[in-house]
Amino acid sequence: MPRAEARGRAGATVPFLLLLLLLAAVPSEAAETVAVDVGAVYASNEGASIDPALGTIRGKLQSMFNYTSYRMLDRKRRSLSVGETGEFELPGRRTLRATLLPAQGDKVRLSIRISDGPRNLLTTTLGLRRGGMVLVGGPSHQSGVLILLISAE
Amino acid sequence: MDCRAALMSIEAKADGLLPREAAAELAGHLAGCPACSAEDAAIEAAGPVLRALTGIRAMEKAPALDAMWTRVRAGIEEGREARRRSPWIARWVWIPAAAALAVFALLFYPAGTDRSPFHPSTFDVAVEDVESDVATVALVDKGEDLPRVIWIIEDAKS
Repeated sequence: MPRAEARGRAGATVPFLLLLLLLAAVPSEAAETVAVDVGAVYASNEGASIDPALGTIRGKLQSMFNYTSYRMLDRKRRSLSVGETGEFELPGRRTLRATLLPAQGDKVRLSIRISDGPRNLLTTTLGLRRGGMVLVGGPSHQSGVLILLISAE
Repeated sequence: MDCRAALMSIEAKADGLLPREAAAELAGHLAGCPACSAEDAAIEAAGPVLRALTGIRAMEKAPALDAMWTRVRAGIEEGREARRRSPWIARWVWIPAAAALAVFALLFYPAGTDRSPFHPSTFDVAVEDVESDVATVALVDKGEDLPRVIWIIEDAKS
């Protein structure tokens, strides 16, 4: 094999192996953590548009609530390990804090606290399955309300 | 065939465009017309003269053309030589650069945001406890196919 060709192959292989190593390192960490996803949806009767970013949850929202418009204002994801708290800023200077609690199997237990400045709007403890979702709604926003889509993977 | 038509046929013959029947007719006319025959002979003679002239011109320009081709060939060879001389590290320098970019993207990709649509696999949720200091909280459960909702009623607004 010509030397230049051998050098070329080595030059291409080393970075590829580095990338593989990096990618292989990610799942081992992901298995011990839970990705908590919080989407903030503005539901109102202004117009009649439904944000396509809501995916399959669009039909559920329409069948559960009487609003004509659903728009996702923000969406954030935090990877949490047990005992760790992730903070999610919400529209209207509100804050959601999620703490991952110990759980067994594919269960995920989350302690959720939503505050509006110093006011504690909600404190709850949820037990979900990985891939599950729960909605928290009601806080007023502009001429409608906020509906939070909380899911864990 | 009259002389006017014969002259047109002579020109067509010189251009190689005269049909066979017309050529026979022209030959008959030339046999009996000295003026047209002389014109035909003059035009026939012009071809070799023009070819000779073109050859002479080409010979005159040959040294200049040779010099230009030599310069072009030298330029091509110089480019090939430069590519052969370039160090292998310079040829493969883009690979570590691309790898560094990929690592940078993996490490600093904004994992805090996700734009893929929501596709929850289950709505099976247990609400262990729920409370609020400032609002009334309702737990809405409309069946397994729909997500459970914790609804916060602030000052009876919503």
